[in-house]
Amino acid sequence: MKKLYFVMALLIVASMILTACGAGAPSAEDCTKEEVFCVGLVTDVGKINDKSFNQSAWEGVQKSQADGVADVVQFIETADAKDYAKNIAQFGDAGYDVIVTVGFGLGEATDAAAATYPNVRFIGVDQFQAETVAGVSGLNFPEDNAGFLVGALAAAMSESHKIGAVCGTDVVPPVWRFGEGYKAGAAYADGMNGTTTEVFVVYHSDVGFDKTFTDPEWGAQTAKSMMDQGADAIFGCGGLTGNGAVTAAAQAGAYGIGVDTDQYLTLPEAAPRMLSSAMKLITPGVADLIAATKDGSIADGNVFGAAGYAPFHDLDSEVPAEVKAMMEEINTGLLDGSIKTNVPPVKP
Amino acid sequence: MDWKRFGFIALIIIVLFGTVVMIGQVKQPPILIITSMLATTIAVATPLTLGALSGVYCERAGVVNIGIEGMMLTAAFFGWLGAIYMFNVFGRDAGLSIALGVFFAILSGLLMALLHAVLSITFKVDQIIGGTVINILAVGLTGFLNRQLFFGKGSVFGGSVPGSPGVLPTIHIPLTEIFTPICGASASCLQNLIAINRVFDQKPIAISAILLVFFSHYVLFNTRWGLRTRAVGEHPKAADTVGINVVKMRYLNVLIGGMFAGLAGAYFTIESVPSFEPLLTNGRGFISLAAMIFGNWTPIGAWAASLVFGASQALLINMQIFRDVIPPQWSFLQESYIVGLTPYILTMFILTGIIGKTTPPAADGVPYEK
Repeated sequence: MKKLYFVMALLIVASMILTACGAGAPSAEDCTKEEVFCVGLVTDVGKINDKSFNQSAWEGVQKSQADGVADVVQFIETADAKDYAKNIAQFGDAGYDVIVTVGFGLGEATDAAAATYPNVRFIGVDQFQAETVAGVSGLNFPEDNAGFLVGALAAAMSESHKIGAVCGTDVVPPVWRFGEGYKAGAAYADGMNGTTTEVFVVYHSDVGFDKTFTDPEWGAQTAKSMMDQGADAIFGCGGLTGNGAVTAAAQAGAYGIGVDTDQYLTLPEAAPRMLSSAMKLITPGVADLIAATKDGSIADGNVFGAAGYAPFHDLDSEVPAEVKAMMEEINTGLLDGSIKTNVPPVKP
Repeated sequence: MDWKRFGFIALIIIVLFGTVVMIGQVKQPPILIITSMLATTIAVATPLTLGALSGVYCERAGVVNIGIEGMMLTAAFFGWLGAIYMFNVFGRDAGLSIALGVFFAILSGLLMALLHAVLSITFKVDQIIGGTVINILAVGLTGFLNRQLFFGKGSVFGGSVPGSPGVLPTIHIPLTEIFTPICGASASCLQNLIAINRVFDQKPIAISAILLVFFSHYVLFNTRWGLRTRAVGEHPKAADTVGINVVKMRYLNVLIGGMFAGLAGAYFTIESVPSFEPLLTNGRGFISLAAMIFGNWTPIGAWAASLVFGASQALLINMQIFRDVIPPQWSFLQESYIVGLTPYILTMFILTGIIGKTTPPAADGVPYEK
């Protein structure tokens, strides 16, 4: 029996060590000292290397370190939505100066932590501040504009006049805005080109909040189902779920459209068929806010970052000049306000 | 054969399909909806079927296996990793790399199963805890290695994932070519034929999953091996007295189960999408277990149950595709989270036992003490 306990203990310890290595515990080195500027990042339940949302926020933090703004940077991956507060507290207790919390889901936990740690600056990515909370700056993006741009592009490029979007859950307002913007953009392009495009938008709302963004297989099957019904351009909006959809689209020879970052660079499997990506410029947005915290110019409340569409890369020669011109025109129109997506900030 | 159970399962699938056809027919021809839903159903059911078969082998021999999820995840990772290594580091051609990837996936499923067997048969650890160890170990191991190899500047591949050799090819069954003469000059007939053909054009693992269902049924119920397996799962003492080696039978069946879970893992990264994401199995191992119970610990039953889960996912996708044409009196169906409840409601419905009780093997989960 002794041997048995030894084996069990060894296995359990081994699995815990491996899990812990995966989580990346913050080092408390000197962060309590005033002259050391520490930045911590807490991810949403997606992974730090999700090739889109969490990853670009983390790259923003890394950029601030490369720029000489932050001295110590560290991240914690949230494995379960119940751990939001606990993970934020790890940085708060270690004396970090800035805590970046990534994702709509962490909004409540961030506001609560701001009251507990009054000396810490919280940057909440995708956390729209309905009311200003002392110590919290919400970094938001016009996802509807980004969705609008790629929706117009997909509609203009589709030969079957059927396009699809595979998204995370519509409970998260930014995801819903991507989807609605996509529909509006397709309708706008139809108006310009005299076409009628059918738009399929499917949200993954059938499982817990935390799983809707981490299910590439579901995304792939949904994309395939849309392609079976004739869609030839698929927009994947929703972390790993969207990655699966875009990759499946590329495998089948349809156009794939990425999200959050230029996914041509992060999804090598889909790159040859990656038409564009609906980009939220999270990396510079996060880095700018960290710099603003250090020089003291940051304010509470909402800060708005920029959105856009990624270059066409490999497919540049396939995109006709008039479509490129249309995209520039729409982008300019969205920026100067002459084109409106008419998508409300949250789902009615 | 448990005809009541199969009749009920068939009824559920027909109702799910019928609902979508009724709503969607204003937008798409019914034949296109049905074939598209069938294709989705079969694809979604593939890993569930293989996972459930893995459970059937283990539990028929008397070993509870809740580690299917972990075995699948491990296999998905190592299969993908093996294919990438073969392709990039050893410079093998794509086809061979993919085939070796499948081999590595099955091998890693086997090794995880060996761990489960050692814990639960040799050391007689509580089998639920043994399975949990495997699930936790799989998450840690794959997440850790994925990060060390591919993520960040100090990683082995320098922060980017090298190109994968791709996925298994679709096997084309030439129904269209054979039946074209029947259609004659009718264009719509030909279109339908192409749509129907698409359901039969599946990839190797999806096809082998269906073949393995019938193969497993034959093995379990028509061979000496199957009889012995069931004997050690029902009454190991009796089996022992007639000279069956209980420990050996249990070991072999758990290992076979591990290979099935490994093949299910290969489906994710070698057949469906050629990339690995942390936690990508996302609870499908546990859904497989539900399918196994729902199918009353029989291969064909488990397969039918997996198809129900597949059909309910097809419903979820298609209801959202046809959202604009849902009649106003059914407007609640426009909300994705309401349609998304279907599989859970079905599961609860089924577990209430209205289609007859499910009976696990009598010695399921009980370590054998001589």
